[in-house]
Amino acid sequence: MTDEALRSPELSLNWRIATIRNGIKEALAYRGEFLLDIFGSAIVPVGIQLMLWTAILRGDPNASFAGMSYGELMAYTWTSLLFSQIRGGDLDFSIIEMIRTGTLNNYLLRPVGVLEFVYFKGLGEKLLTLLFCFSLGAIATLFTSLSLPNLLMAMMLALLGNVIAYLFGCILATVAFYWENAFAALMVKNMVVALFCGELIPLTIVPEKYSLIWKCTPFYLYVFGPTQVALGKWDTSIWLREMGLGLLWTLAFLILLHLAWKKSIHRYQGIGG
Amino acid sequence: MNPSDFAIEVRDVKRSFRSIKKEEGLKGTLKLLYKPEYLTHEALKGVSFEIQKGEFTGLIGANGAGKTTLLKILSGLIPPTSGEAKVLGFTPFDRSIEFRKQISIVMGQKAQLWWDLPAIEAFDLIRALYQIPREIYRKRVDELTSLLDVTKLLNTQIRRLSLGERMKMEVIGAILHLPKVIFLDEPTIGLDVLASKKLREFLRAHNQREGATIILTSHNMDDISELCKRVLLIKEGSLIFDGNPKRLTEQDECVLKVKLLSAPTLTEVSSVLSIPNEQVSMDEEDPTTYVITITRSKITEYFQKLLASFQVADIGIQEASLERVIQRIYQS
Repeated sequence: MTDEALRSPELSLNWRIATIRNGIKEALAYRGEFLLDIFGSAIVPVGIQLMLWTAILRGDPNASFAGMSYGELMAYTWTSLLFSQIRGGDLDFSIIEMIRTGTLNNYLLRPVGVLEFVYFKGLGEKLLTLLFCFSLGAIATLFTSLSLPNLLMAMMLALLGNVIAYLFGCILATVAFYWENAFAALMVKNMVVALFCGELIPLTIVPEKYSLIWKCTPFYLYVFGPTQVALGKWDTSIWLREMGLGLLWTLAFLILLHLAWKKSIHRYQGIGG
Repeated sequence: MNPSDFAIEVRDVKRSFRSIKKEEGLKGTLKLLYKPEYLTHEALKGVSFEIQKGEFTGLIGANGAGKTTLLKILSGLIPPTSGEAKVLGFTPFDRSIEFRKQISIVMGQKAQLWWDLPAIEAFDLIRALYQIPREIYRKRVDELTSLLDVTKLLNTQIRRLSLGERMKMEVIGAILHLPKVIFLDEPTIGLDVLASKKLREFLRAHNQREGATIILTSHNMDDISELCKRVLLIKEGSLIFDGNPKRLTEQDECVLKVKLLSAPTLTEVSSVLSIPNEQVSMDEEDPTTYVITITRSKITEYFQKLLASFQVADIGIQEASLERVIQRIYQS
């Protein structure tokens, strides 16, 4: 039987769906772990913010901090929780581990883009998380000022933020081709991102003269941006502008990643027999 | 021979790796921080050969000889430092999509299927990755799993399978898309005798039926002698033998099996023949028979010495086992 007879071109897009589907199944293989991961990783950012805002404003409904009332800070804290779970993931850490141990072999020889394959593999779990957070947000619209259209737009921005976060992580992960490990580089990145993505503090409280720092990065699109959209602080025109900016960041990172990967893959040793 | 008949062409391929030289102790570790020294290891020192389409070739050598490095170069995982490798006319390290669709690699020590999912889920993804039409895919999964007796395990998580079962699934996953070139790196490692045999029969049948070019590395000489009509023997990065494995066993060594009525000690036999003690042993299947490994050119001389010194009841000549020959080459 000829090769042509064995392959049908109309199926060419199916691998992405199949990869996402397997990612979902894999995430659900350990249901308890999956749920614990969502809730567990939310404890620290929420806990810090609750303690901080309560300590600063002492629950006084008339007091404000950097222009935000206690109620607004609380609304930000709880709403940002919906997006902080979607933002990152640890796929970049998985990639450096694959480079270090040689398990990248499994991906390099498949007839699809390596980093795209890894992303779609992890996207399954992330989509489950997104669905879970969207459901929570949808329930919240019943008894808060959140609206469903805003929530939907915010989720789209958060998903774009997830793509940007992955691309940026992958660019840093190429360091592992040279140093054999890039754990520290990714840890530093994670700390900087945690600060500037709006997961720990609303970025509006950063003094104006320092705000250029976070505005020059795409990190605010991960959590702060979607939270502003969900809370109705950013209208549709700002959302469109930020989506456009996000796409530009995506394009820039794609180009940078392509160049970095093309150069550094020559250093790959595929350790292990 | 027409170049288009070759599935693999390797010309003077060299590959070296650089690594940091780590001295012993804390001082050595601290020294790495300010004055690292590097070591260059030449894994391949100019290897050349061609493999015809449909050939089943064994790639053997001691640990660290360069076998896996060669497989990695041929499959496109790493580039050669110099020289040229072509697989199906492609330069492997370019890793074109067309190239990747036509090759496959199984590494016995590395799982490629999804650890937490049943094999059937992983196969389904492979179907999508290689765009295999669903009907053909179903038929092929049925056929391959039935040949390897793993049909009932299709819905079991990979991590819950035994090593042998997992390896069978890995092999099925690797050939589902009918690759034209298959690299097998120790596929029978850790498998019991029955599982190894089953896998060997399966691979032989697949090679004959589909005409796939297969390169097999293994430390199990049964794999090599049963499957490969040709072996490439690599020692310290150089190709030192290329041919039929029978040529290796026929080269200069053979085994004398002798029954002696007087039952001398092994030392007495070796001293009469003037050979080292380790070349004489008792037959495991027949404890009254002496097994003597000798140089082929000296058969007559040893016959005469044995007949002159002992009462010989029976005598026979056998080829030396491939394992014994390879062992001797590794040690030399």
